[in-house]
Amino acid sequence: MILSGSAATLMILSRSAARGEDNMKIHVYAGLKDYFQPEFEVEGPVRNTTELIERLLVINDKAGEMLSSCRFAVQEGFIDKDFKLSGHDTIVIIPPSSGG
Amino acid sequence: MHKAGPGGLGAEPATLSAEPLDLVAMLSRAHHPGAGAVVLFSGEVRDHNKGRAVSFLEYEAYAPLASKMIREILSMAREKWSLHVAVACHRTGRVAVGDIAVVVITASAHRSEAYAANQYIIDRIKHEAPIWKCENYVDGGAEWGNNCNCHAITGDPGRHIYESNG
Repeated sequence: MILSGSAATLMILSRSAARGEDNMKIHVYAGLKDYFQPEFEVEGPVRNTTELIERLLVINDKAGEMLSSCRFAVQEGFIDKDFKLSGHDTIVIIPPSSGG
Repeated sequence: MHKAGPGGLGAEPATLSAEPLDLVAMLSRAHHPGAGAVVLFSGEVRDHNKGRAVSFLEYEAYAPLASKMIREILSMAREKWSLHVAVACHRTGRVAVGDIAVVVITASAHRSEAYAANQYIIDRIKHEAPIWKCENYVDGGAEWGNNCNCHAITGDPGRHIYESNG
């Protein structure tokens, strides 16, 4: 379908907005910062942590072993692999603790 | 941002601190007329790790969740052992060799509860709270170290094996 100029622009802007809304913010800590920036975005949709890990391995395929030992949190609460992520979620990836 | 320093009388004590911990002040606030036993644990920075000389530690925390979890752990310990007092505070930022990284104080009618609860609290903080230390060595190297590795045994990053039996 061929669109007129203004309609085509509107559709492109809508698609861009949709991608932006689906981008998830990711925060990482400690040893994960050896593999990723402390804060970055992953383009959505990402349905769960399994899919998120797959996306993260595309960014850095050396992070697999560490990611497999991490917990994930949304809104200051831990989530499991069945948790349904939303496009606007901020996900915190938590490596094994080493406090004390 | 977490509160700087343990809270004063009447205030809920802070569980994270970017400032040096005042162990004497914390202990002075931990007495209770119903408690015949007060147990204090102070976790301090060693000068060595894995055969290397340590210069200092740098602690990082996901503060909102770390603070929330420490409070929950303290609350569970109070209930489990009928404690009169349970407080804990963990440093963030740079901590020099010999300085205090974490303090746990428990007070109960009798000493067995205070001892058991204290170990339970520090065990859970070390394994579960999102706090990490980076060992900075005298030779210039640095590494995130001594991680909880329970997941290697349990297969689940959320399941832990504790030293205490609590």
